[in-house]
Amino acid sequence: MSFENYALDPAIYDEMFLADGSPRPEARILYDSLIELSTADLATIQGRVNRTFSNESISFTVYGDAEAEERIIPVDPIPRVIKAADWRDLSQGLEQRVRALNNFLEDIYGPAKIIADGVIPADMILECPQFRPEMRDFSQPYGVWVAVCGTDIIRVNDGFRVLEDNLRVPSGVSYMIANRKAAKASLPRLYRSAHVQEVEQYGAALQATLRELAPNGKPEPSLALMTPGVYNSAYYEHMFLAREIGAELVEGKDLVVRDRVVYMRTTEGLKQVDVIYRRIDDDFLDPRVFRRDSLLGSPGLIEAARAGNVTLANAPGTGVADDKSVYVYVPDMIRYYLSQEPILKNVETYLCRRPDDLEYTLDNLANLVVKRVGESGGYGMIIGPHATQQERDEYAKEVRENPSDFIAQPVQSFSRAPCLVENGFEPRHVDLRPFILNGLQTRIVPGAFCRVALRRGSLVVNSSQGGGGKDVWVLAE
Amino acid sequence: MLSRSAQSLYWLGRYLERAGNLSRLLQLQSESLVDRPIREIHFGWNRIYTYVRRDPPGGEIRLFGDEEYALADSFALADDLTFERSNPSSVYSCFALGRENARHTRHCISPEVWTCLNTTYLRLQEQNIASMWQYEPTAFYQGLAADIETFGGLAECTMYHDDRFSFLQLGRQVERAQGAAALLLSQIDTVVASSSQEFHEEDWTSLLRVFYALEVYTHTYSVAVLPDRVMDLLVSDPLLPESLGRSVALIGSEIAAIGNGPYSRSGRALQRLVGRLAAMINYEWPDEEERIPLLREISEGAEELHFLITEAYFDYPIQEPV
Repeated sequence: MSFENYALDPAIYDEMFLADGSPRPEARILYDSLIELSTADLATIQGRVNRTFSNESISFTVYGDAEAEERIIPVDPIPRVIKAADWRDLSQGLEQRVRALNNFLEDIYGPAKIIADGVIPADMILECPQFRPEMRDFSQPYGVWVAVCGTDIIRVNDGFRVLEDNLRVPSGVSYMIANRKAAKASLPRLYRSAHVQEVEQYGAALQATLRELAPNGKPEPSLALMTPGVYNSAYYEHMFLAREIGAELVEGKDLVVRDRVVYMRTTEGLKQVDVIYRRIDDDFLDPRVFRRDSLLGSPGLIEAARAGNVTLANAPGTGVADDKSVYVYVPDMIRYYLSQEPILKNVETYLCRRPDDLEYTLDNLANLVVKRVGESGGYGMIIGPHATQQERDEYAKEVRENPSDFIAQPVQSFSRAPCLVENGFEPRHVDLRPFILNGLQTRIVPGAFCRVALRRGSLVVNSSQGGGGKDVWVLAE
Repeated sequence: MLSRSAQSLYWLGRYLERAGNLSRLLQLQSESLVDRPIREIHFGWNRIYTYVRRDPPGGEIRLFGDEEYALADSFALADDLTFERSNPSSVYSCFALGRENARHTRHCISPEVWTCLNTTYLRLQEQNIASMWQYEPTAFYQGLAADIETFGGLAECTMYHDDRFSFLQLGRQVERAQGAAALLLSQIDTVVASSSQEFHEEDWTSLLRVFYALEVYTHTYSVAVLPDRVMDLLVSDPLLPESLGRSVALIGSEIAAIGNGPYSRSGRALQRLVGRLAAMINYEWPDEEERIPLLREISEGAEELHFLITEAYFDYPIQEPV
């Protein structure tokens, strides 16, 4: 099928085409094979992918008015190609960034030198709802607070930008693997000839990382993945990863803490747990320390971790480092802790807590994306150009009332990639979430969950709001 | 393994077995609608409702004389037992609950088992009584029963036979044993409850068919179908796959594989109960004159198994760590 009606926009980076309309060298092989396929072939491929996802129930859960609904994640079968050199730069940048973020967390819950040295204002940290004073003087094996990080990257005409660091319980890696499986089944011959780097070793890498983080280097540690339960939107992923890493999939009610040691209830009695890969928010982790009304957590967990009898990955309190205001300071953290220049750039961001930035934001609301610092998942934000005057006025009022709750960014013309729609290929906005694992060493699997804004013109890629996924092919060197 | 996961696997086995048993009953019942007299159809529905311990919609089944009326009523009964979401014993409900337990423990079963289960579930969701009844209800139930057998076969050959497999099997066999005992008692109670209390050979023939045992019966005994001989076969034949005796033997071997569990009082009680059930079936049954009270005793024992299993492995009181 041809790309005759595929609309390019010079202001927007296209993942497959150069500005002159010719395919990028790295995407040439994909382009050549796509134009060979008939409409019927493509429909068959899409149908097969949808059926596989549905039969295997590769799903996420959304909450409607009445009840939780299992929904199959939409997948576009056309892969996005990234050349080896770009990936190398990106992964070096990610490694650098996460190292600095780990240093920051170790510092901020310890001596807080970065505040004393005036690099980051103290009130910003203290006011941040994700800052957990309960975690002060807590220590993690090898200073690894963030064992699993999922960083949201966008691509603009002059390179990659970091949109957001997800340092709490980032999800999406199971879809990266499912999308790869779908792509291999859809385009088997092309896959073989394209020399794509594999991603299926992610489970092994995660297992190795978690084992390295066992308390006191305990050999053969017992691993558990802690989930809020089957109604959590990412339950499919929790189940998937538990299988991959050979961990028991536990809920708070399966855990028992005795004498600051964590056990799980098994059919053979209580069994000690050494490392908990927790996929449950800080708030619900331990009702003795965080939210008292949490029924999902396990009382005494934090005390056990503080005593060094169990490792929690990620550590509680990491959310302070992915706060949307603190984000602005990550390049400064890299300079401060590593004495290096940041490899990856941030998106230009205005902090409404600064009077000048507030004024600028209110004056330019029609051209900005404004986000609430405490929200995620595409909620609580306004995309200026897509909003009505009334919506902007109402939002402006809220911003004026609590300026420090908001940040603003220019609308990003982030990249687009061809997606299969009813009548052929159309460009859709895409982002990229690679996963960075930190144990004794840093491991980055060459691939990512690529989120697609499936609605034409939409910039929102979140699966809860009409987003889907596609495979990412990082080409071999 | 984690107690909660073991419990989900156990329930997965139970619910699917239950859905399979009911599908088999409904398959034969839908066959009987084609050529059997009204009395026999009536007997069949009463047997099923006694078995699932539920009142039929409208309180009782009346299928007197009028052919048209009998078929229309059967449609409503089949809907109630197959698709009715509010009926916890319907095939749909049992299957959906089984699938929900599988979803909780997907990491403990093989992907092949999950996909088989989920695909059947998706198909079941798309069906309703009108579309199914119009074409081939028998084929529908047969297909469903076959899918559930496929599930069992896939579990057998794609899952590692560790505790995960054992708990799944344990659930299936406990349900099978309870189901077999309940069905035999339903047969007896339905005969007793019928107005004439007369012996009808065809009611016992259809019971043999539920257990896939008609052929072996005619081979072993004769073409004359006698209730006592039917019960002998279904209760104590060690080679009949769905006999009560065979299920109890398999429960015994799964429990031996799993071990006593952390709460040894219940674990030991469980082992003793399984031994007692096996003794009743193997040693008392053949010489027993009064078989119905013994069958009731066996049925109660099979119900009790569930509580001991739950206490021994899932909801045990927490003692100090080992």
